Amino acid sequence: MPTFFAAVAIYLTGALITLWMGDRRRSIGWVAWGASSLATVLILACVIQVFTSGPIIMEKALWQVPGLGASLLFRIDYLSALFLAIISIISVLVTLYAQSFMQIAHYQQQSLRYFYAVLLLFFAAVIAVVAISDLFFFFIFWEMMTLCSYLLVIYRSNDATRLRAGFKYFFMTHVATAFLFIGGLVLYLHSGSFSFTALKSAMVQMQSASPGLLHLVLGFFLLGFATKAGILPMGDWLPDAYPAAPAPASVSFAGSMTKLGIYGVIRVFCDFLPAGSHSQVWGLTIACLGAISILVGTMTALVQEDAKRLLSFHVIGQMGYIFLAIGTGIYFLPVQPVLAIIALGAGIFHLINNVCYKSCLFFVAGSVFYKVGTRDINKIGGLATILPLTAGVAVIAFLSIAGIPPFSGFSSKWLIYEATLRGGFLKPVFVILGLLAIFVSAVTLASFIKFIGSVFYGKYADNKSKAKTGDVPWSMQIPQFVLAGLCILFGLFPRLPVQWIFRALTPLFPPGFVGDASSVYGHSTLAGLELHVNDAAAGWQALPLFVVFVLCAALAFYLFRSAKVTQRADQTWFGGEPIKNEDGRYRAHSYYLPFKQIFRIRIGKYERPGVYPTIRYPDIHLKKDDFWHRLIDVDRWFYTPLVNATMRFLRFFSNTHSGLPHVYLLWMLIGALLTVILLFAFSAGK
Amino acid sequence: MRGFLFGLWQIILVLMLAPLLDGIMRKLVALVHSRIGPPVHQPYLDLLKLLGKEEMVSSPYTFFRYSAVLALAAILTSAVLVPLGAAPPMESSGDIIVFIYLVTLAAVMVVLSGITSDSPFSFIGASREVMFLLTVEPVIVVALVIMAIKAQSTQFSDVIAYHAQAPFSLSVLIAGGGLFLAIIAQMARLPFDTVEADQEIMEGPFIEQSGPKLALFKWMIYVKQLIFAAVFIAVFIPWPMFENYGLSLVTILVKMAILLLLVAVVHVVNPRLRIDQAVRFFLILLVLEIGGLAFALVGS
Repeated sequence: MPTFFAAVAIYLTGALITLWMGDRRRSIGWVAWGASSLATVLILACVIQVFTSGPIIMEKALWQVPGLGASLLFRIDYLSALFLAIISIISVLVTLYAQSFMQIAHYQQQSLRYFYAVLLLFFAAVIAVVAISDLFFFFIFWEMMTLCSYLLVIYRSNDATRLRAGFKYFFMTHVATAFLFIGGLVLYLHSGSFSFTALKSAMVQMQSASPGLLHLVLGFFLLGFATKAGILPMGDWLPDAYPAAPAPASVSFAGSMTKLGIYGVIRVFCDFLPAGSHSQVWGLTIACLGAISILVGTMTALVQEDAKRLLSFHVIGQMGYIFLAIGTGIYFLPVQPVLAIIALGAGIFHLINNVCYKSCLFFVAGSVFYKVGTRDINKIGGLATILPLTAGVAVIAFLSIAGIPPFSGFSSKWLIYEATLRGGFLKPVFVILGLLAIFVSAVTLASFIKFIGSVFYGKYADNKSKAKTGDVPWSMQIPQFVLAGLCILFGLFPRLPVQWIFRALTPLFPPGFVGDASSVYGHSTLAGLELHVNDAAAGWQALPLFVVFVLCAALAFYLFRSAKVTQRADQTWFGGEPIKNEDGRYRAHSYYLPFKQIFRIRIGKYERPGVYPTIRYPDIHLKKDDFWHRLIDVDRWFYTPLVNATMRFLRFFSNTHSGLPHVYLLWMLIGALLTVILLFAFSAGK
Repeated sequence: MRGFLFGLWQIILVLMLAPLLDGIMRKLVALVHSRIGPPVHQPYLDLLKLLGKEEMVSSPYTFFRYSAVLALAAILTSAVLVPLGAAPPMESSGDIIVFIYLVTLAAVMVVLSGITSDSPFSFIGASREVMFLLTVEPVIVVALVIMAIKAQSTQFSDVIAYHAQAPFSLSVLIAGGGLFLAIIAQMARLPFDTVEADQEIMEGPFIEQSGPKLALFKWMIYVKQLIFAAVFIAVFIPWPMFENYGLSLVTILVKMAILLLLVAVVHVVNPRLRIDQAVRFFLILLVLEIGGLAFALVGS
């Protein structure tokens, strides 16, 4: 536990130092990176300790809130450790990437200290949220995380769209937190304590005593966590807030913050809630919400032409996959333990993979922005010639997110498909949800082909001349390489993370709930997943198939080279006409037009280019002297008068500083006299 | 290990037989056209010719040069998961879902070769290929999932074993019909050869491919044709079944020829659909298939 506190302290110290360092634009990034890598080493030490010698539990609370059953108590169990590992690794990569990225002209006017200090504070809050075991302080750290992320969204705040996105984010997440808080309070009324163990027993009690109220509480929790996770319809803030934030901040949201929504769902619905009829109701709800997010998020991503907005909609879609898997798992907890564990494991595995490839893609979008200064993919093209390594990384991440073997996205999606289809043998609705997931996987592929094709390949766009030559700096390359490497590693050896996830999940359930890992995932140790549910087997062993693939590729390459033909470089054939580069470009907008037209919502004259419901928030224009306007304008009736009065008083008071010694003597005399009079007055009263 | 070696044998078999199947197909098309047509071994000659031709490189990207190799490798890898006269050689390594995604990998490589070329025609072809992927793949998935639900398993051998003894039901007929139409699209035959569409966009994604690259792509298409025919036959027409491997292989080839005759008839009598028509067609087919799925779920 001291290691963990040291890690938090290092993040906080890093935040203070960066705040103090001011505008040393180069060194400030290295300080932030140093702090987060040091903290990461410590956190990983904690994680290893948890996985080798059991959960780290604090015996005595750090601080007991008097009169309230709340205490600052940390507890790192297997599930927390898993999330801690993800978050800490992302924090190192993000700060390393930010080092060069934040030097671009776009942020030249801004002071970097507010970025780095807030970023480090954000990571401190995030790891505290994962490790805390008291709901009261959970809310405090949760709120700290939300506020920090709000500040990151509105960084470079001289921009109206950013402020608007930031406000939307601020508003929606706070409404969500309010729901969380109400749910927590209802539970508190039943338990008398905010500690997780007390809440757990309160839920057991409520399940039989007041099932209706428990439904309400669970609904509030789900609403709160789903909003943070970006699940539709509550996740409407996400496609606006992500593009507004700087690329490193978007990565840290995609890599850590939205995942905490999943952490919360697992904590509440698997850990607190005992398996029973409640799990079935809410499991199905979660799975359906996930399926809606998958469909709407990804179909909307298909029509986006802003690189980061496209990725943001994919965040919604991918979170939908995770929700679908976890909902399926929760649904089958009471009836089919093995299937439930497979589904929950699939969800967390997909979460880990999602962190890898989605962060990688956000990094790639950032690198493209770094090079060409625009995010509009209609205006970019042919970047693979100047960014060859970034293009390679982008292709790996794209194949992974699209669920193409042998990359990591396929392994987790395969588990999700198997879990939903097998669940569907028992409860048919899951077949439909699973098929939806399979269909949308192809849409993901389509959307990223558009992204890759129009950003990296095709004709050079005009802005190529403006771009600096050479690939992005190494500090931006390394995070991309690390994440792409993980995509390949987890794809070829899916058993590796799955084994860990299995160990993280089983302690949440009573002992003997399922057997050991080999009874769920088969006996092969390194590469393979073999499922046996209800006598039906299915396997996905990446390594043997990859060996076959390599052999086939060698054979194909032999055929390719067998005749030893000569090569000749030549122009592209345009039907015999000389053609300007610009005329021969196939823009991002043109991809899949017939398909997009089918999925266009058209009612009379009203037409939308997608299925995404954009909610137009009414612009509230109050009259200047309206009572309500005056009431919400706290500045006007409280702060400004207060500040003015204070300033007036101080100005008046400064008149006493005349600089003449005898005036000071006079004041001292008056003061002494007043003291004497007061003393007499009080002692006489006694 | 035995499965692995058998898998390698099946890969070689598929690679060698696939052009022959296309030769038979051409002969059948010519038959329906009342032409003489090229000899059955013509595809081999075509491939040999192309492998020896000069390779033109009109684009600087890596995927432009090597996606043909990867596409052929992907489709050959999927061959080890397909039943061809016996149970799939490496079934424990992958089930129906893995098979579908390996085929998708091959399609992705075709698309990548299209988008890494500079020609707008190849971009249009790639875009069409993806739209086909979006609409044809779900039809195949739903058709196979219907069978999986019937057999309560996602492995080919279980599906075949179940189907061989179960009577035909409505959902199986719907699944079979859907898969047949989807296979025509996968084989790039009329009325669904919209992706390549020679007369329209000049082979689409392959317009800038030449020499050995084009040969590998053609070979990939032949192999894909054979594999999908094998899947259709194994899942929907498993009879008559023989214990003897050689005998069942021969039966499968005969059944393939019959299937190809059907495909050839459809190919000859239909004009090409426009891309939006094709997309609509398959979306409607998808709705029908989901109806079939509903039948399967209620047990008929």
